[in-house]
Amino acid sequence: MLEVDRVRVSYGAAAAIVDVSLTIGDRELVCVVGPNGAGKTTLINALAGLHRIDSGALRLDGRDVSRLAPHRYCDHGIAIVPEGRRLFTGMTVRENLELGAYRRAARAKRARSLERVCALFPVLAERLEARAGALSGGQQQMVAIGRALMAEPRLLLLDEPSLGLAPLIVTALFETIRTIAASGVTMLLVEQNVALALEVASRAYVLEEGRIAAQGAPAELRRRPEIRRAYLGLTEEAR
Amino acid sequence: MPSLALLAQSLASGIFIGALYGLLGLGLSLAWGLLGQINLAHFALALLGAYLTYQLGTAGLDPLATLAIVLPAFFVFGAALHWLFARFAVSAFNSLLVTFGLTVIIEAAIQWIWSADFRRLESHYADIRYRVGTLYIPLPELLTLALAVALSLALWAALRYTDFGKALRASAEDASMAQAFGVNAKALALLLSGISAALAGVAGLCIALSYTLAPSQIYAWVGVVFAVVMLGGLGSALGPLIAGIVIGVSEALTMAFTAPSWAPLVSFSLLIALLLLRPEKI
Ligand SMILES: Nc1ncnc2c1ncn2[C@@H]1O[C@H](COP(=O)(O)OP(=O)(O)OP(=O)(O)O)[C@@H](O)[C@H]1O
Ligand SMILES: [Mg+2]
Repeated sequence: MLEVDRVRVSYGAAAAIVDVSLTIGDRELVCVVGPNGAGKTTLINALAGLHRIDSGALRLDGRDVSRLAPHRYCDHGIAIVPEGRRLFTGMTVRENLELGAYRRAARAKRARSLERVCALFPVLAERLEARAGALSGGQQQMVAIGRALMAEPRLLLLDEPSLGLAPLIVTALFETIRTIAASGVTMLLVEQNVALALEVASRAYVLEEGRIAAQGAPAELRRRPEIRRAYLGLTEEAR
Repeated sequence: MPSLALLAQSLASGIFIGALYGLLGLGLSLAWGLLGQINLAHFALALLGAYLTYQLGTAGLDPLATLAIVLPAFFVFGAALHWLFARFAVSAFNSLLVTFGLTVIIEAAIQWIWSADFRRLESHYADIRYRVGTLYIPLPELLTLALAVALSLALWAALRYTDFGKALRASAEDASMAQAFGVNAKALALLLSGISAALAGVAGLCIALSYTLAPSQIYAWVGVVFAVVMLGGLGSALGPLIAGIVIGVSEALTMAFTAPSWAPLVSFSLLIALLLLRPEKI
């Protein structure tokens, strides 16, 4: 469904990702892991139109979207749960969710989408009129995910959704991610919690210093010593 | 002790001048709060609108009908101004400098076209007054109040309830995130900047109906309207009107009960009090 082809993105003169290629199949859940500053956010933001790519192509079902105006990306069914959530904190939860369904194709189904999001996150149903900035971290993350789901995405981009959440909430979050994946949404997940990410993903890429350093199925990656050491906190002997 | 009639009279005049402050502050506040653009030229634009109303009205057009010409022209001007600001990535502070320059240019143009002499629009509106109790209320002032209330309410409702308004507020907080969800933030900004300039045109009409015009009038309201905008809350549509009326009435009461020279102190005392008590609001 998505084909990232030799993409390069830079901030000023400094290249953040170089020659990155990856593919995501229909209904697949692919994760990207890597150390801090590897360029994961840069990659995911470029896919959402938040950042222009210098070269390469972003093909959705064969069509290059990388030349589109930023507000046109979502027309192709791309929605993002960005790093740090980036809610519209001065607006209510309801308004944040409604804004998720701003694009024309999603607007018509807004009422039904809102019901679905409220069913997925029952706490939000009670806090619809609260200011988004007044919610707890976990609830804000739900709003960020809900906002993206309101866009009726075909491709959902999640950037470190578990960051800063209590362990119990992280478990619930990954349950939700599984639920969303099961409903047929294709997903790209960037995650610090590599062990958890490898559990839900069907394939994974390792990004290091702006380049793809490794890729493969989770089971295969888990066997590689360098990945066990760097990302799973395991020694080589451990099994 | 001033009479009850004097009290009523100063309350009324405070409300009416406050409505004008609110109307002048409305466009300024929206552009500042939602676009990060401090448009000092808003005042010059309002006075230019007043002169245009004067010119067209003197030529025989009904003053209200002049809006049909002034509003579209100002809308385009405001949109073009924002396009330039966006094109050259002008910061909020620099926008203050640039629009100060623009103010000087507009002032010079007004002087060149209409000279520094006083100008007064003779219209039949000025002769109509309504009697309310012991008060006589001139139609122009009533019209100013009606326009200020109607426009503030309409914009408040639009910002709060429409997709356009929500998209604008979202863009003001995080434009690229709003874009990721399909908001054409650049187009909305042009639209809002155009609306803001058109509001200066409406204020201009009200000024032309009630006041004698002189180029230096541009600076007459700058201080008090900035106080109104800050008291009302940046980006708020109802705030300027409410703050305008609060300041207008306080000024009028100060004038009635003490000396007229104390009046200008009122708005800034209120502003300083707010800065001290609730600095997070500014
Ligand atoms: N706005 C920016 N301006 C300049 N450089 C940036 C900017 N954002 C990121 N970078 C740089 O680009 C590189 C990649 O950053 P990015 O945020 O994409 O990494 P990341 O993998 O998401 O890291 P983290 O795990 O900390 O979220 C880093 O070297 C970073 O310093
Ligand atoms: Mg990141």
